[in-house]
Amino acid sequence: MKSRLVAVPIAILVIAALPWLLQTPYWRGILVLCAMNVLLALSLNLVLGYTGQLNLGQSAFFAIGAYVSTILVRTYGWNFWAASLAAVAAAGLLGLALAAFAVRLRGHYLAIASLGFAVITYQVLINWEKMTEGVRGIYGILPPVASTTGLFYLVAGIALAVYVLIDNLVRSPVGDTLRAIREDEVSAASLGVNAALWKAFAFGLGAAIAGLAGCFYPGFVGTLVPDAFNIIESFTMMAMVIVGGMGTMIGPVIGAIVLTFLPELLRGFGEFRLMIYGLALMLVVLFMPGGIVQAWRTLARSR
Amino acid sequence: MTDLLALIVQQSVNGVYLGCLYVMVALGLTLIYGVLNQINFAHADFVTVGAFAALFTATRLGTKVLGLPDTAAYLLSMVAALGAGALLGLAINAAVFAPLRDRGDELRPLIATIGVSVLLENFQLWLFGPIPYQFDSPFSRETIRIGRIFFSAQSVLVVAVSAMAIAALYAFMKFTFLGKALRAVAQDRETAGLMGINPNLLIALTIVIASALAGVGGALLGPVLVLTPFAGASVIVKAFAIVIIGGFGNMQGTIIAGLLVGIIEAFTVQYLGSGLIDLVVFVLLLVMLVVRPTGLIAERKEENV
Amino acid sequence: MNRALWSFAVAAGFAIAPLAAQAQDKVIRVGVLMPISGPGSYFGVMGKEGIDLALDQFKAGVNGYRLQVQYEDSACSPLQATNTVKRVLDQFKPHIVIGEECSDATLAIAPILEQAKVVQLNAGSVTMKLTESGYKYVFRIFPNAEQQSLPLAKVAYEKLKARTAVILHEKTNAGQDNADGFEKPFVAMGGKVLAKIDFARDVNDFTAIATRIASLGKVDVLPTFALEGQTVRLSQALAQARIVKGGGGGAVQMGSIWLPYGYDQKAGQASEGYVRIVQFDPTENRKVVQDFIKAFRAKYGADKVPTHINAHAYDAILLVAEAVRRGATDTESIRDRFTKMKNVEVTTGKITFDAKGQNADLSVVHFVETQKDLSWKGLNWQ
Repeated sequence: MKSRLVAVPIAILVIAALPWLLQTPYWRGILVLCAMNVLLALSLNLVLGYTGQLNLGQSAFFAIGAYVSTILVRTYGWNFWAASLAAVAAAGLLGLALAAFAVRLRGHYLAIASLGFAVITYQVLINWEKMTEGVRGIYGILPPVASTTGLFYLVAGIALAVYVLIDNLVRSPVGDTLRAIREDEVSAASLGVNAALWKAFAFGLGAAIAGLAGCFYPGFVGTLVPDAFNIIESFTMMAMVIVGGMGTMIGPVIGAIVLTFLPELLRGFGEFRLMIYGLALMLVVLFMPGGIVQAWRTLARSR
Repeated sequence: MTDLLALIVQQSVNGVYLGCLYVMVALGLTLIYGVLNQINFAHADFVTVGAFAALFTATRLGTKVLGLPDTAAYLLSMVAALGAGALLGLAINAAVFAPLRDRGDELRPLIATIGVSVLLENFQLWLFGPIPYQFDSPFSRETIRIGRIFFSAQSVLVVAVSAMAIAALYAFMKFTFLGKALRAVAQDRETAGLMGINPNLLIALTIVIASALAGVGGALLGPVLVLTPFAGASVIVKAFAIVIIGGFGNMQGTIIAGLLVGIIEAFTVQYLGSGLIDLVVFVLLLVMLVVRPTGLIAERKEENV
Repeated sequence: MNRALWSFAVAAGFAIAPLAAQAQDKVIRVGVLMPISGPGSYFGVMGKEGIDLALDQFKAGVNGYRLQVQYEDSACSPLQATNTVKRVLDQFKPHIVIGEECSDATLAIAPILEQAKVVQLNAGSVTMKLTESGYKYVFRIFPNAEQQSLPLAKVAYEKLKARTAVILHEKTNAGQDNADGFEKPFVAMGGKVLAKIDFARDVNDFTAIATRIASLGKVDVLPTFALEGQTVRLSQALAQARIVKGGGGGAVQMGSIWLPYGYDQKAGQASEGYVRIVQFDPTENRKVVQDFIKAFRAKYGADKVPTHINAHAYDAILLVAEAVRRGATDTESIRDRFTKMKNVEVTTGKITFDAKGQNADLSVVHFVETQKDLSWKGLNWQ
């Protein structure tokens, strides 16, 4: 308990200090991206890591958050915060819709169903041109906070708050319920757990958080195109969770940080950048199944 | 033949051809799933490698070095593609599936194969570059016409070879000892092991066969696809959809699903617009999962409670 | 004896090096944002070839200034483009940035470069928005969507006497802009667009689309806006369905500068009768063009023919060098020289930037028709 009380202020200090360590607009931009990825990884970890649901469609909720908030601001003149609230709600609702499938499907079936969900969302965004401008894209989107540092503080602050929220959730009886569903759904049901309800909860909350991350994305890039949400993004999110350590709290955070900074640091390698990335992904999965967190713990123990 | 009838028949022919294209990719996927319960995300990239292997064998080795006539060179290239696919299958089994097998994990091998896919695509990009290659087979420029209906000779080849492959596989599974052993392993690995069958060897064999199939698929599809290192990526997701719609691990289902998806795609293009293809196919997929989650031809599999 | 000589050489090297470094202080830094990874690398690889070739030619410097280039991989995506443009601005502090190829990414970096007051020279995007948004630091030598499609519409209606059209385009920003650029004037002149058929970049087989077109009735022209890989398949399908001339039909396929030289050989007989506008023409006799081709072959292989993507990227460096030759030393003076440029000759024609930063000189653009032997025949239609 005590270590947790100390951890939060330390995290706040680290977050506050980062923009002073990395002072250029480029690296500060990467910090914002990193904070968004942490949110996404946390959201997916809730569904995948703690509830054990093979969800490959998280990019759909990210997309909904981005598009709904942007359209409400641009076309209907809402203010950013109201629009974001609506976008988060929309993403959450969509998450519940996916949960309706999750109730009856397991394993690879759920994986492909969620993938299909993401593809359909992506296709709707491309084809419903009246609403979304389709492949032409929406340009000149302003972030809610003008300075990059400010935006980073905002998103990182939200990520920290979400982390604390999920951490508390996971330590509560709700967490036990989710873990029970992950380990053995049938036995859990025999103990009186309403698996359907809790799966819906996990999906909905995970989707809402991903949608929240999505609200900040268009303002950060300035440009919103559907291609930013193709299904490859789902795989990247999943990689973050797994590389960091699925089913732990700090794992997704580490995974998000590593997989945000790694491609940037590899930029010097030019054409070999993505080859190295693919190879690294393979090796981590093969040799560090519990992710970086497990490797760290094993190392710590062996001392 | 009235205009409308001719149109419907033609689009159906187009759809069957498209479907066979997808089936060639999906079949190997379903084979691997049937025996291993794993998805190989790099499968379509094996098809691309097969296509490139076939292209270079046919043009450089076959025609230039050996001086073979076009058809012989093409046949040689199919053999080369088969070999390339088999090698890749061996490699991915050794590197990914075998080490991760006993953990009973559904997710990690999938992610590892995603890593393999990224690696393969970018390696090919480095080797071959992004500009599409022109792969002409002796059949790809010939058009066969029956009345008002047309189709390319290559499409006949694709249908014929996929039919032969399916028939051969079916016979293999049903009538040979090895095939029966494979089915045993698919049903219950432990018990099969207890009966003196070496499951690891058989699983490796299945993956090699499935990947070799992907390779040959590449040789057949090379003249049809836009041949870049990203050719595989353009078909993989639909191949997954077909495997699901047909029923994981179910060969007949996969074939029917593939043909169905092809025909639906052709008619979507005709009446709705080609930009909507993916949307229609995946909505169908979701409907399928709601209505009949085990696939078109349900194979009863006992779940261990 | 040997060792002493070596030590002397090393010491001399250390002594001379700082002097040499000082002599290289006059540098013009050119940032280049290209898609080097992903499917967009189709453009990036060719763009890099063109730029590298041009840099070779200016190895000795221009006006005492050395041209220094830093490449960044923007992967055709607004996110990556935004990140890499910030990175290049922070780390490299370029005087000018060449980029990008894909319209989405180009539009994403324009406001950032505008705000940083760094000249953006675009050599590959067609989107109208780039030069319609009021940017003062943007210059584009690539013909925009309207510049490409309007002549097609005019020629279709007036010279080919076409009254019905089916527009085929890839489902991207660029494809849509080009398609609209044809549709508006064609319809305004009295033509009818029977269908506007779009397809994603991952479509391989076009027989279903060709069948659909065959069912639409008499089609006169088929303006096509897609990359060469897909256009080859499309043309072959259209020929198979007996729609286009190459297959025994009556429709004429039309295209803009998207297709490189060599396309016709890849598509075969299906490309017979294809009418398109061409800007970079390797068969042109101008010295600039022929020198470029010679140098390209010397560097990249005797059997290669440069494409318009190679040529435009090459020209971008030519223009930078020209600005420096005219006395530009930093971004403001580069911008100044660009605005004043008139009829500067490059491989893709002549450059005169209009008030919006768009090259308005299309004098080199001409129509060609693919003959039965797959060669080009120049058509005198302007």
